[in-house]
Amino acid sequence: MKHSFRGGIHIREHKNTATCAVIPLKPPARVAIPLSQHIGIPCGPLVAVGDTVKKGQVIGRAEGGLVCPVHSSVSGKVSAIRTRRNIHGMAVTDIVIDNDGQDTWDESIHPLAASPNEATVEEILAATEAAGISGMGGASFPTHAKLRSAIGRVDTLLINCAECEPYITANHRLLLEDPHAVLGGTLLLARVLGLSCGCLVVEDNKPDAIALLRELCQQEYPALTVAVVRTKYPQGDERQLIRAVKGRELPPGKLPADVGCVVFNAETAASVFRAVAYGRPLCERIVTVDGDCVREPNNLLVPIGTPVSDLIAACGGLTEEPARMVSGGPMMGFAIWQEDEPVTKGTSALLLLSKKASAGYEGAHECIRCGRCVGVCPMRLLPNYIAAYTRAGDYENAAANGAMSCVECGSCAYICPAGIPIVQYVRAAKAVLRQKKS
Amino acid sequence: MMNKVKEVTVERNEGDPVATMPERLTVAASPHEKTRTHVPHLMRDVLIALLPACLFGILWFGPRAALLCGISVLTCILAELLYEKLLRRPVTVRDGSAAVTGLLLAMNLPYTMPIPMLLLADVFAIILVKQIFGGLGKNIVNPALAARVFLFMSFPGAMANFSARPDFGASYTDAVTSATTLTSLKEGLGGSFTITDLFFGTTPGCIGEVSALLLLVGGVYLLCRRVITWHIPVSYLGTVALLTFLIPRTGDRMESMLLELCAGGLLLGAFFMATDYVTSPVTRGGRLIYGVLCGAITVFIRYCGVYAEGVSFAILIGNLLVYYLDRFTRPTPFGKRRGKR
Repeated sequence: MKHSFRGGIHIREHKNTATCAVIPLKPPARVAIPLSQHIGIPCGPLVAVGDTVKKGQVIGRAEGGLVCPVHSSVSGKVSAIRTRRNIHGMAVTDIVIDNDGQDTWDESIHPLAASPNEATVEEILAATEAAGISGMGGASFPTHAKLRSAIGRVDTLLINCAECEPYITANHRLLLEDPHAVLGGTLLLARVLGLSCGCLVVEDNKPDAIALLRELCQQEYPALTVAVVRTKYPQGDERQLIRAVKGRELPPGKLPADVGCVVFNAETAASVFRAVAYGRPLCERIVTVDGDCVREPNNLLVPIGTPVSDLIAACGGLTEEPARMVSGGPMMGFAIWQEDEPVTKGTSALLLLSKKASAGYEGAHECIRCGRCVGVCPMRLLPNYIAAYTRAGDYENAAANGAMSCVECGSCAYICPAGIPIVQYVRAAKAVLRQKKS
Repeated sequence: MMNKVKEVTVERNEGDPVATMPERLTVAASPHEKTRTHVPHLMRDVLIALLPACLFGILWFGPRAALLCGISVLTCILAELLYEKLLRRPVTVRDGSAAVTGLLLAMNLPYTMPIPMLLLADVFAIILVKQIFGGLGKNIVNPALAARVFLFMSFPGAMANFSARPDFGASYTDAVTSATTLTSLKEGLGGSFTITDLFFGTTPGCIGEVSALLLLVGGVYLLCRRVITWHIPVSYLGTVALLTFLIPRTGDRMESMLLELCAGGLLLGAFFMATDYVTSPVTRGGRLIYGVLCGAITVFIRYCGVYAEGVSFAILIGNLLVYYLDRFTRPTPFGKRRGKR
């Protein structure tokens, strides 16, 4: 039986790169590694301009629980430490490193003494933290912190391989090309949590990955299972994932651990495996480069900090001028405005969309109350009323219609035939309501 | 995978287009991709769905029916255009809603309707019912229906004049006005036409209301194209069917039910009027209750009111309750317990 949830939308999938094997990117001449790539306290720099750094060397660190150290993704020389605004509009500090092309690994990089099968809970947690792993699905929550907070509180471990956003195939390719890293990582995560099983959740648009995982689970990983969910956006939202697989509904403002579940992205699990098995820090990731302006859409293995212009060049350049450049999927990704915007641990895709492919219908009509937004809202809210009340400045009624419960998946704004930017209205209402509260 | 280093080199043919980064990029919040079904597409689908029943009306009643439809559509578009030009508002006739109002109104009238009255009704619908409240999306009641009731109140004679075709069915007797099924049921005479007549539309009536079959075809088209959801038509027609089956006006329960379903403006109302986006609820629960309410009021007026037909009044009353229906059927948000907000 295929699991699903109520609401949601069927979008054109655009999974053009599903058959594109991951290709390592030609080493970039220069990387700019942001010191804040995770939710939590930003790191401070451990290197100065002129220092020589090696690949995998820790270049940024901070004290505290919600922190991920930052590693150099190339070997070379620090040429600048600069501050700029990132795609979220926040000021971040980048460490700019000129690549010497040698790929000299730092001496500290070594596998654990014990094999991954014998690593203790503390060893796994320490390796995860030292490797600087944060959620690679987009939210970038430090993985070790999530693990620590979930120990003893959960009965279900889910690995999110749904990949419900259009275009992105990074997880799909990872499952096909390196399934043992994902499955091995899942076992490690399960061991930390004291669970005897784990479940990989895949959307039914990836039959090849499902077949491969099922076979491997049967033969080599009997503790793990594969759950197939219907292809529908936003199936990969952890709330909908938990609802679809376990039938539990996560109340607004709560964490998955509050309903006994914990969810990790597939590439996060693979990174945990590499950290434990090889001592490898998180300094590269798979990025899907796609969109109707790219000559040759592809999946690339990219060092963290590589400017997006290098990715475009590696995919044959542009065929037409893009109207939007997006980091992540088209539904929840962020617009990029700098060509040298670096790839971070949370960058799953780079999309170059023409005016035709991207939205261009904002504010064309008044709301005609067609109710499509209500029908698709996976959180069962009334988006049209939230937008209308926010526009009228009536934030109390916006809240009464569920503004604060909105997960900003964008289904309502996608489906709206009047082109109303509903998500923006919701964000505005949230900002005002939060301010009023504090 | 991780160890096989292979450099990417892209072969570029002579003459391949090469674009550079533009000077300006759009920086907007997500989503970055949106549906390509916009308001005009939805209105176009409604017009397409109305077409079969409308064409049948024209074939059945003759060229005057076509004239009325054409005039009504044009007058509505013109009224909206002029109003918006005069008030220097953005012109919205391209969204297609004025055309829909015009066609719906014409389909709701007998083909004998004098043209000045039609013009008056069109202007009433567009200016007084729709534009004064702020245009599409802001009107409280359905413009076409309100204009129909306006004509009904002002010119009851013209609205009941279903005459002048000598070949109306076997039971046609009256030389001036032909009794419709509903008036005949009202007078306790039983159905004046057979169910087959009503189903195919070979009866007197309003231009677009006669053919039950073609209205069903249009309704199914709207459902298949997902322009409307099933909630309102099913609950509306279901309520009427249930009530007329339980309390028949003619002898046979089944016959009574089918007569009441096929006669008058019920199918046009249930598929095309009650489902009007602007004046119907947005929640699933609200739509179901709204349909039941419209059905119950329709049957009540048909059975107990002074008028033979109650669809227009029923939907207009439903329109007025839409805000409250939405409010009281607000779904419980994901993860919250019922009753707690």
